[in-house]
Amino acid sequence: MTDKFCMVVSEGSFDKAMMPLIMGTTGASMGMEVHVFYTFFGLKLLKKGMKPKLPGMMRFFTGMMEKKMSKFKIPGYQEMMEQAKDLGVHFYACSTSMSLMGMKEADLMEGTKVLGASAFLNLAADSKMTLFIG
Amino acid sequence: MEKDATLDAKGLMCPMPIVQLARKIKEMKSGQILELLADDIGAKEDVPAWCSRTGNQLVGQEEDGKTFSFYIKIK
Repeated sequence: MTDKFCMVVSEGSFDKAMMPLIMGTTGASMGMEVHVFYTFFGLKLLKKGMKPKLPGMMRFFTGMMEKKMSKFKIPGYQEMMEQAKDLGVHFYACSTSMSLMGMKEADLMEGTKVLGASAFLNLAADSKMTLFIG
Repeated sequence: MEKDATLDAKGLMCPMPIVQLARKIKEMKSGQILELLADDIGAKEDVPAWCSRTGNQLVGQEEDGKTFSFYIKIK
């Protein structure tokens, strides 16, 4: 049986955005089934056309960070997201957070599914590991 | 070492060598040998880990200065 790997993302800054994508693309490349659940401030990462920034005052240096990463051929957020989807990584939006943040299904990136906590926990309960990113 | 294809992942950092490696082997046949070149220092541990996890066999590994060469027999 394929190993399952779950992640919960609760923050929406650039670093918290990239980490699950790096882990997710790697996991999928290792043959794992990867599920990422976005909740609270992490939810906005699933917004169409999202460009996450570094946290706090560091946000002014996001461009510098992206430039540095592109030097090492690490793609930008949107491109990385597309690669992850191509590799079969599953992305979920927390339904309660959607109501709290006033987000609609139409605001979400294509390929994202809306789930409640129990549906996600059902996946997590069967997975080999679950990481919390927040 | 004999090889059927080469994937040059030099200049790429984690996770890109592994992501490209996973893509590359899909184009290859069982029993073929892929040479992977990388200079990300993490690759030294990452590639053997990827091999043991995915069941592809690491049949050789060399280090030449900053470049690592891995020889992977496709499952």
